[in-house]
Amino acid sequence: MPTDNEDRDRIVYCIGEERALRDVLPASEAATLLAAASRAGLRGVRVVDPGGKALWGNGDDVPPPGEGDPRRPILLEGEPAGSVVLPAGAAGGETRDALLALLADTLTAMAHNNLKRMLTTETHTEVINRSYEELLETNRSLSESEQRYRELAGSLEIKVRERTEELSRAMARLVQQEKMASVGQLAAGVAHEINNPLAFVTSNLQTLKKYTERFLDIIARYQRVFEQGGVAQQDRDDLRMHRESLRVDAISEDAGDLLRQTLEGAERVRKIVADLKGFSHVDEEGEAPTDMNREIDRTLSVMTHEIPGGAAIVREFSPLPVIPCLPGAFNQMFLGLLRNAFQARREGLRVTIRTGVSGDRIRISLADNGPGIPADLRTRIFDPFFTTRDVGKGKGLGLTVAYDIVTAHGGTIDVEDTPGGGATFLVQLPIRRGSHDQIR
Amino acid sequence: MIEFDSEEQRMVLKVVYYGPALSGKTTNLLRLHDLLAKEGRGELTVLDTKDDRTIYFDLLPFFLVAPSGLKIKVKVYTVPGQVQHDATRKAVLQRADGVAFIADSRRTEAKNNAESFGNLERNLSIVGIDIDKLPLVIQYNKRDLPGIIPEEEIRRAWGPTGFPVILSSALEGWGVVETFRAVAERTYDVLDRRHDFAGKHGLTRESFAGRLVRRAG
Repeated sequence: MPTDNEDRDRIVYCIGEERALRDVLPASEAATLLAAASRAGLRGVRVVDPGGKALWGNGDDVPPPGEGDPRRPILLEGEPAGSVVLPAGAAGGETRDALLALLADTLTAMAHNNLKRMLTTETHTEVINRSYEELLETNRSLSESEQRYRELAGSLEIKVRERTEELSRAMARLVQQEKMASVGQLAAGVAHEINNPLAFVTSNLQTLKKYTERFLDIIARYQRVFEQGGVAQQDRDDLRMHRESLRVDAISEDAGDLLRQTLEGAERVRKIVADLKGFSHVDEEGEAPTDMNREIDRTLSVMTHEIPGGAAIVREFSPLPVIPCLPGAFNQMFLGLLRNAFQARREGLRVTIRTGVSGDRIRISLADNGPGIPADLRTRIFDPFFTTRDVGKGKGLGLTVAYDIVTAHGGTIDVEDTPGGGATFLVQLPIRRGSHDQIR
Repeated sequence: MIEFDSEEQRMVLKVVYYGPALSGKTTNLLRLHDLLAKEGRGELTVLDTKDDRTIYFDLLPFFLVAPSGLKIKVKVYTVPGQVQHDATRKAVLQRADGVAFIADSRRTEAKNNAESFGNLERNLSIVGIDIDKLPLVIQYNKRDLPGIIPEEEIRRAWGPTGFPVILSSALEGWGVVETFRAVAERTYDVLDRRHDFAGKHGLTRESFAGRLVRRAG
């Protein structure tokens, strides 16, 4: 039997273990047969192993088997595993030989059958054990795998938490960016508004400069005439003609208008700057008692350039109690809602802003006559990044910022249909808030 | 547990007939039992069967003594081919010295042959036998039936593997002894390299195989 290791001289053979005659043929079975053979006339019969050592026998008076004794082999798997031996002098002739052959063949058959039975049992046991070991192994690897999945699930939770925190940080950054972008847009609009009056103020001042030169010119001439003493008729005529050629009377009149307009322009710039300051509340720190009506007005005034041409803005304001809040944040919210309304339609836009008190809440509704918001989008319009505008046109954060500001103040914001078409945003704010509420 | 004792000068070899269900492994052994001389051949032990299908295995033992006195027993086993008896197949395959893979020649059985050969490769690896070093012979049995794969196709498929391919009809009794002889010779080659059968024991390849396949009558 070859093995992987040639030094090894014992081999584990899982099925088909080699057996000696003694292993497959119990003494009790052999003894019964030998006793019967003895009774049949084969006295002193012996069974010996291949080395000649006696295994079983019948008849005590028979001498030990010798070399020349009549014998028949007992075969086990084709190999002589022992022999049936009779004493050399045993009589009987043919009958004896026949009985000897019968005995040897019977013992061979018995050994074969016993071996077959043992093989069956052995295989059965081996297969059962092997299957059991395989089941144990399967169970062990399943347990390991379960353990791995448990660990994975655990680390997955941590990963999800980390990723969620990361996302909310990114979200906060984006909201901040949106606010900044909103302010930037506003600043651009305001710059435009200031630029316009500034242009004509500059132009008027240029004209005034030229006029002033003429005034100085005529004054210089008068000066010279009077210094020479006396005014001759000739001189008076000359002065009149010169005055007429310079159109001093006309420009004197125009100069007054110019100066008035310039002052108006300057006043407009001043107001815009004041509105902007009011809107941004740059001078205020923290919460301040706020009149929402005034804040809406302020927001509208800084958004003048965003109002579509021909749009009707209807203010139906009722007096409101002042509530403590960050007015800048609310202006931001009104900005978002108004901008949303201004985008509802290009022509014939009508935006109705209505304020009032209902119970312990301030109600502010902002209705447009645009296309309205389809029912299936209602639940999504306040979601971050949700937008119906073209890619690159809107980040979908304007209403999200508005929502955050209102809810942080303990209020609610809802959208509903405007009777006759369009959408109405309804903001409700508590007049008194819990002390722990804070506005972002 | 077999004791291989240099004092006792005994060696036990194991040859396994592997293959898909109903490819004729038991019939191969039955034919060997019928065709080979009784001398040196044991009786065929057919363990439990169900509907003529092997559940455990069959065993046909051979016994010979080398000129040096080395007693050699060659035990030829079949494995149960049915898929569900894989544990038994592994148990029988353990420590095999040579394998005859009995394939069914019918074209319809090609898939079963391939699956069974895959199973043999896997189980050999599980029981720690290197298929490249194992004496392995392929027998395409049932050549007497219609719808069989042509010989050249078989040779083309198996040629690159280097395994000898023998065609047979175990039912008609041809190709069976040749298969056994081929696996015996290849097993001898491996053993001779390891144990110097010819030099130490006076046992040549010819005498080893010749004594195993001595024809009856």
